[in-house]
Amino acid sequence: MFIRQEWIERNAILLLVMTLITISVGGIVEIVPLFTIETTVEHVKGVRPYSPLEELGRDIYVREGCYLCHSQQIRALKDEVERYGHYSLAAESMYDHPFQWGSKRTGPDLARVGGKYSNDWQYAHLINPRALVPESLMPTYAFLAETPADLDTVAMRMRDLRRVGVPYTDEQIANARADAEAQANPQADPAELAKRYPKAVQASGDGRVVTELDALVAYLQVLGTMVDFADTSTEKLQQ
Amino acid sequence: MSDAALHPGAMAVRAPVDYNMAVVRKFTIAAMFWGVVAFLVGVYLAAELSWPALNLGYSFTNFGRLRPVHTSAAIFAFGGSALFGTSFYVVQRTCRARLWGGEALADFVFWGYQFFIVMAALSYVMGFSQSQEYAEPEWHLDVFLTLVWVAYAAIFLGTLLKREESHIYVANWFYLAFILTIAVLHIVNNMAVPVSIYMAKSYSVYSGVQNALIQWWYGHNAVGFFLTAGFLGMMYYFIPKQANRPVYSYRLSVVHFWALSFTYIWAGPHHLHYTSLPDWTQTLGMVFSVILWMPSWGGMINGLMTLSGAWDKLRTDPALRFSVTAVGFYGMSTFEGPMMSIRDVNALSHYTDWTIGHVHSGALGWVAFISFGAIYYMVPLLWNRSGLYSTKLVAWHYWIATLGIVFYITAMWVAGIMQGLMWRAYDQFGFLQYSFVESVSAMHPYYVIRMLGGVMFLTGALIMVFNLVMTVRSPSTDTKAARDDGAALPAGLAVAGE
Amino acid sequence: MDIEVGDLVVGLLVAVLGLIGLVLASGALDDEMYLFGLSLAGFAALFELGLIRRHFDRREAVRVHAAAERAGEAGAHV
Repeated sequence: MFIRQEWIERNAILLLVMTLITISVGGIVEIVPLFTIETTVEHVKGVRPYSPLEELGRDIYVREGCYLCHSQQIRALKDEVERYGHYSLAAESMYDHPFQWGSKRTGPDLARVGGKYSNDWQYAHLINPRALVPESLMPTYAFLAETPADLDTVAMRMRDLRRVGVPYTDEQIANARADAEAQANPQADPAELAKRYPKAVQASGDGRVVTELDALVAYLQVLGTMVDFADTSTEKLQQ
Repeated sequence: MSDAALHPGAMAVRAPVDYNMAVVRKFTIAAMFWGVVAFLVGVYLAAELSWPALNLGYSFTNFGRLRPVHTSAAIFAFGGSALFGTSFYVVQRTCRARLWGGEALADFVFWGYQFFIVMAALSYVMGFSQSQEYAEPEWHLDVFLTLVWVAYAAIFLGTLLKREESHIYVANWFYLAFILTIAVLHIVNNMAVPVSIYMAKSYSVYSGVQNALIQWWYGHNAVGFFLTAGFLGMMYYFIPKQANRPVYSYRLSVVHFWALSFTYIWAGPHHLHYTSLPDWTQTLGMVFSVILWMPSWGGMINGLMTLSGAWDKLRTDPALRFSVTAVGFYGMSTFEGPMMSIRDVNALSHYTDWTIGHVHSGALGWVAFISFGAIYYMVPLLWNRSGLYSTKLVAWHYWIATLGIVFYITAMWVAGIMQGLMWRAYDQFGFLQYSFVESVSAMHPYYVIRMLGGVMFLTGALIMVFNLVMTVRSPSTDTKAARDDGAALPAGLAVAGE
Repeated sequence: MDIEVGDLVVGLLVAVLGLIGLVLASGALDDEMYLFGLSLAGFAALFELGLIRRHFDRREAVRVHAAAERAGEAGAHV
């Protein structure tokens, strides 16, 4: 050995530098290529930034720690694909700052929960899970129905997301509040919203106050629905 | 060579150093306080999973908000305080130097760290979280912690630089690797842009698959360098001291240190098997996780074999029993971990309670037990007492806590494997046999047993707190005798340093 | 009585932190930032008080020690 342990353990700075080098190798080799290898994120059509209401709902999902019991990552295993749907693609979470893949399934995976249940079911279930699923261990989220969503900051949030790489347009940010209100109210005309955010699902709000529950349901209803899998093939999804 | 043969002359010449033990005492008290808090919140969360009505319907009592309080209290508040305290104790004594930077800086590290913990816990229950596991605090708390950490690193490195011993003792290598690596991990993983400088909410600069890998590079190495390297530093000082034997093999500790530091950092991707992470990264993570088994067991052997010739002490010194059992649990978890990182095993174990059990055999069996052993050893010395108030109570603590761990991890093994099997079970017609919720209701008895295990572990910790309080309240012994002990070098230094 | 360099540097650093806390609290747009800012200012104030207390304790100890030594010397002369 050209560097001797004897020198290292007599010199604190050398010890520090050698340790830094030792712990850096693995991280660099594994992490850097994920940013540089072009096929890491598959090329699929349909993945778009979240609508303002969906993004507010997503922030609530993050805030309440939903990821601690629900994964959003269907593994490429036969039983998971049968239970939850097509295995998750990297592309589907490319606008997720931060990612919500999770690490534990005390409850089921939610990567493709969008559209699986009606709005009514989602509202009732979030307010009292055990009214619909008696064996459920989920906490109740009735308080979300009484809390107004933070529409005042939604444009700020979108601007911040643009700073970290989500391609929101100026038009989308300028209409953030209007789009959020339109998506929360089933009586509103969704044409403008659908133009800016295809496949966005309207929540079932009361048309007066946009609640956090409306936002969360809008988010849950879009999960896993953006990619059209009829349009792609296994070869195209190769990383 | 025994250290008596090497050092008696030197000891007579050198004047006793005026160590800063006040900060060590503070961290020791903090470690015990946060330990009890962490175990208590853990028990409550276990109860919530057994009887969901206990979530109470308030936002701040829901599982999702309390769970980071439990993990942060256990890892950062309890584990962190134990690491700060013991590292300050060990670095001073093995360097024969008072902490660098003066009392005010050490105090800043103590109070700054406690402030961070309290504010982080409050922010979680108020609903502020980055949702990155074990890195939940929002950006403003991350910045504050970075400041405290820089001060901590400066004190530690400064003390190493002004040491009176020619060699840096092996325990300090591990503490230094812990301090350095955690700094790197913390800064890289918490890169986020706040919505406004006046808002706590921020968005990570990473997204999706890159975010996932960076998070688990962080998460796994929080285990590797916070919960392993740091506590190995503890093992390398306190076990030789308690057993009054030098470290088994100096060569092994050199190999252990470099191999562990190099290998651990690669293992993160095993948290992401079969996910949208590219296969090559998963395979690298798996291979290095399996390799990691070897340096881990090298360390375990080094710790256990230090007792050769002193095994009888296990009968008379229950505090040493904690330290040694900790190394045993370390060996068990570092076998279980590599096994679970093999893709086919992981296909079954991932997302289940098996992972929770694995974490707790490490956290309760290794991290908490090695800390208990060190604290039982340090407290009489820190407060100049002739010994602990009651050795019998230490033995009670030991057995209750050990039984608690056994309840916990066996319940989680059964629960986890059962979950994994139920999710993939097919009936004779080729359909999935169980709905998801059937696997949820099957967990109930095991969740209750797990909670009982937690109650036992908490009871043990309360016994310990009582024992330590009574020790401190007992009459002080002659300070001169205590100081002589303080000047003595750790037995291990005879091997590692000379 | 001199002020130790360490005390001075740490004291200044913490004072700056306290000011930052006040600024954050004054402009806060959410509860968390408001609470954090105020708490940081409170933390800084208490920490500075601790530094001041220790400074005077130390001076007191030196004075008592010196007085005891003088008394000891006087005793030796008698």
